[in-house]
Amino acid sequence: GGFASLAGTQAEKKQRIRSQNIVPCTVSQLLAAEQVDETFRIHDVEISQVTVMGIIRHAEKAPTNILYKVDDMTAAPMDVRQWVDTDEAGGENVVVPPGTYVKVAGHLRSFQNKKSLVAFKIMPLENMNEFTTHILEIVNAHMILRKNLMSASRMPQSFSSGGIGEMGGYGGGGSLPVNGLTAHQSQVLNLIKNCPVPEGMSLQELKLQLQNMSMSTIKQAVEFLSSEGHIYSTVDDDHYKSTDAE
Amino acid sequence: MADVHEVPRPRIATGHLAQRIGQPVCFVGRVEKIHPTGKLLVLSDGEGKHATVELSEPLDEEISGVLEVVGRVTNQATIMCMSYVQFREDKSPFDLELYNEALKIIHEFPEYFPFG
Repeated sequence: GGFASLAGTQAEKKQRIRSQNIVPCTVSQLLAAEQVDETFRIHDVEISQVTVMGIIRHAEKAPTNILYKVDDMTAAPMDVRQWVDTDEAGGENVVVPPGTYVKVAGHLRSFQNKKSLVAFKIMPLENMNEFTTHILEIVNAHMILRKNLMSASRMPQSFSSGGIGEMGGYGGGGSLPVNGLTAHQSQVLNLIKNCPVPEGMSLQELKLQLQNMSMSTIKQAVEFLSSEGHIYSTVDDDHYKSTDAE
Repeated sequence: MADVHEVPRPRIATGHLAQRIGQPVCFVGRVEKIHPTGKLLVLSDGEGKHATVELSEPLDEEISGVLEVVGRVTNQATIMCMSYVQFREDKSPFDLELYNEALKIIHEFPEYFPFG
C-alpha cells in the first residue's frame, strides 16, 4: 500500500514502522490492536497480515464466503471470513468442520468497531505440536516487536525458530529483521515479490533466474512459503504471487 | 450463567488449579482414568500431575489420549468441564511435556500472550 498523506498531522510526522512480515498473534492481541484510520498497530508497529491458531466453533457457508468463528481461548471466538472462489470447484472451498484446530493466515479488519479477519488461507492442523510452536512464536514475535520499539539502534537477529521442524520464521526483510527464512526461501520470495506480471511468477521462470538452485529446492521453498502464507498460487499451481501488497 | 466459551480461558497446568477457584480455564492433559459412571476423568498434565475433570453429562464416546478441556475450576480444585476436544495424534504424537514448557513461558510473559 502507499503512504497516503494524512491531513493535519504536519507537526508530528511519526515515522511509520510497518511490519512486512506475517505476525503470529492471539485473538486477544488482535482485539487490543489500536486502529488509526485504515491501519492497525500492536506495540506501535503497523501490522497487517497475521496468523492465528484456534479451534473452529462455528462455520456458516454463504454463496460468496464462509464465515468461521475461531477460538484460541484468549478471548471470545473471532470472526474469520474466507471468500469463496466461485469459479473453482472443490479443493479450496471445502468448509472446515467445527471442532477442528486450524491455522489461519489473513488480514485484520474492523467494521463498526468489531474486529475480524479476512483469511487467505485456512489449514487444519495435522500435528498439534504446531500449536505449541505457535504459542512460542507469538511470545517471540511480540517480544521482538516490543524490543524494536524500545531500542533506537540496529536490532539483533531474531531467534530463528528454524530449529523446530518446518515452523520457520516470518520472512521478507523490510523494517523488522525477523527473518527466519533460509537463504533459498528468501531468494525465491524476493523474486516472486518483485514480479510485476498479474499472474505472478512461474516455477520455470524461477528456475531460469535461480540457476544454481535445483527445481526440487525451488519447489520446496515455494511449498514452505505458501504454507506460511507469504505467497499464493494464481492461475495454477505453477504460478505464484506474493501476499505482501506493495 | 455466562457461556464460558465467550470469555478468556487461561491455559493452565495442574499446579495452577488451586489459585483459580471459580475461574474459567483451559486444561490440556492425557487421559489416565475414566470413572465407570463416565462422569469423572483423571488427566495428567505435562509434569505428570493429575487433575480431576467432572462432566455434567456422562461420556457418550470412547476417549483416550490428549484432551483439551474448557471449564470452570470448582471449590475442590477440580475442573467442571463445559466442553472438550481430543487432540489428534493420528499423524504425530502430541508432546505434552513441551506444551507444559510453553505454558511456563506464557505464564512468565503474560504481556506477550494475554488472556483477555
